Amino acid sequence: MDLIFKNKKYIFLGLFPALSLFIFFVVYPIIRSFFYGFYDWNGLSRPIYVGLANFKAVLSDKVFWHAFRNNIFIVVISVFGQIPLGLVLAVLLNDKFRGAKFFRFIFFMPMILSTVVVGLLWSTILNSQVGIVNNLLKNIGLGSLAHDWLGESGLALYSVGFVIIWQFFGLYMIILMAALQNIPKEVFESAELDGAGGLTKLFHITLPMIWSSIMASVVLCIAGGMKTFDLVFTMTQGGPAHSTDLMAIYMYNKTFETYKYGYGSAVSLVIFVLSFTLIIGSRALMSRKSADL
Amino acid sequence: MKKQTNIEFLRSMSFTIGTRAKKPVKYLFLIMFGFITFFPVFWMFYTSLKSNQEVMMNTFSLPTRLHFENYIKAWKTAKIDVYFLNSVIVSVAAVILTTLVAAPAAFILSKFKFGMRGFIYSIFIVGMLIPMQTVLVPLFLQMKILGLLDKLLSMILSYTAFCLPMSIFILESFIRSLPDSIIEAAVLDGASMKRIFAQIVFPLSSPAIATVSILNFLTNWKEFSLALIFISKDSKKTLPLGLYNFIGAYSTDYSQLMAAMVIASLPLMIIYLILQDQIINGMTDGAVKS
Repeated sequence: MDLIFKNKKYIFLGLFPALSLFIFFVVYPIIRSFFYGFYDWNGLSRPIYVGLANFKAVLSDKVFWHAFRNNIFIVVISVFGQIPLGLVLAVLLNDKFRGAKFFRFIFFMPMILSTVVVGLLWSTILNSQVGIVNNLLKNIGLGSLAHDWLGESGLALYSVGFVIIWQFFGLYMIILMAALQNIPKEVFESAELDGAGGLTKLFHITLPMIWSSIMASVVLCIAGGMKTFDLVFTMTQGGPAHSTDLMAIYMYNKTFETYKYGYGSAVSLVIFVLSFTLIIGSRALMSRKSADL
Repeated sequence: MKKQTNIEFLRSMSFTIGTRAKKPVKYLFLIMFGFITFFPVFWMFYTSLKSNQEVMMNTFSLPTRLHFENYIKAWKTAKIDVYFLNSVIVSVAAVILTTLVAAPAAFILSKFKFGMRGFIYSIFIVGMLIPMQTVLVPLFLQMKILGLLDKLLSMILSYTAFCLPMSIFILESFIRSLPDSIIEAAVLDGASMKRIFAQIVFPLSSPAIATVSILNFLTNWKEFSLALIFISKDSKKTLPLGLYNFIGAYSTDYSQLMAAMVIASLPLMIIYLILQDQIINGMTDGAVKS
């Protein structure tokens, strides 16, 4: 029997298609792009070796660091907007009541829509002419608060941030709901007998017991915030005046608008390193915190 | 015994008082929040049935007459029919290819014993961590070299490659949980490995295959960034990319834009309505594990 499950032919035949597709379209391109990062190449002429010049140029480009700051902003509003909101809704929906499933359906719906649809929908809603937001403000007599939400450079990033929260909070709600369901009821009951109130229960039982899920959510927020592209690209393309530029948009513009493939590869690599460092760093930080609790 | 009932009583008392006070506030909050979440989607649906003039006049008003011609215009004039067909071809082909390739690999990884097993498994798992954006430029160059730019195949192959880690991850853990005795019995009966896989393992894994297929379909249907860099010919665009064109071409025809967006979202909405639990659980599981 064991011989059959060690048969090299079967192992090869079973793994070969998946492995070759994955290596050919994911692993190998990444490795090769690592090398392109050291070349100056417009896609047509022969690549010219330039050493670390591309990387130096990326790291000293103010526009890139501005884009990086915007990514960090997205990460921060994701962590402090989506997770608390998701937690509140998860706690509210966790006790079984009529309609809980209906609300869960509604709150998760934005996650189902395609990001391009979300981007175009909200561009229209925030539109200064026909948009819902400005018309609503006018109808309730607050017309002076009406703005060109995506067209003013001081506002655009906040508007985009709001839409990101709208699209993704449902995911964190579900993740935290699943964690809440794993807390045994007896823990709460015995705490109540000891006279613990709502807030005490929240901070001393609920949060510590779902801490690993919150940590996973933070990591997800960081990963998501660092790679945001589709939504902002459809809503503002990074404008006005670079105010909503993100690293991925910067990379796209450099590579596909100005045909600097070597430079674009270098940017990809820098994004990869920055995101990974942040994720690993946050993991280390959070696991120390959970040890303290 | 007496004490027990007393506590029981007190607990139920405090429970009722607590919920009674909280209930209206809780419902109010949920309804308010549900409204903010749902209204934009609802607005998209009913705006798609208004005339563009009505949209300009009053954003909130419900349609006075149902303008289904918006859909016809979007479908034909704005070429949503072409994009829709491309989306169907790409999404379905990638889903089928992913399943055909991932299932045997998952079977081997879960039931066979060989030295490289851990290494090969971890190649796929690390793949889940790679952000799509870091692969855009390298993958574009790869497709350029292969001459696959502006071909549907570029999307089918790359979507498959990107769906593999998650699919293998879910399928591997499912097939692992199938009892070895079933497979061993078939081996003793003299069945070939091909038959064991096709007639025993594959059918038994159908719940996991269904989950994987649904999730992959949703991902592929929504995908934008890879399509954006691979495709520039109008006749090869998928829905997200086609909708993106609207920004320039039809940016002031709001009712037609909304109709096009409803068409693009309808398949997702229908699947979500029918398979709510499976989708929610699958998506969150996948997100957390990666």
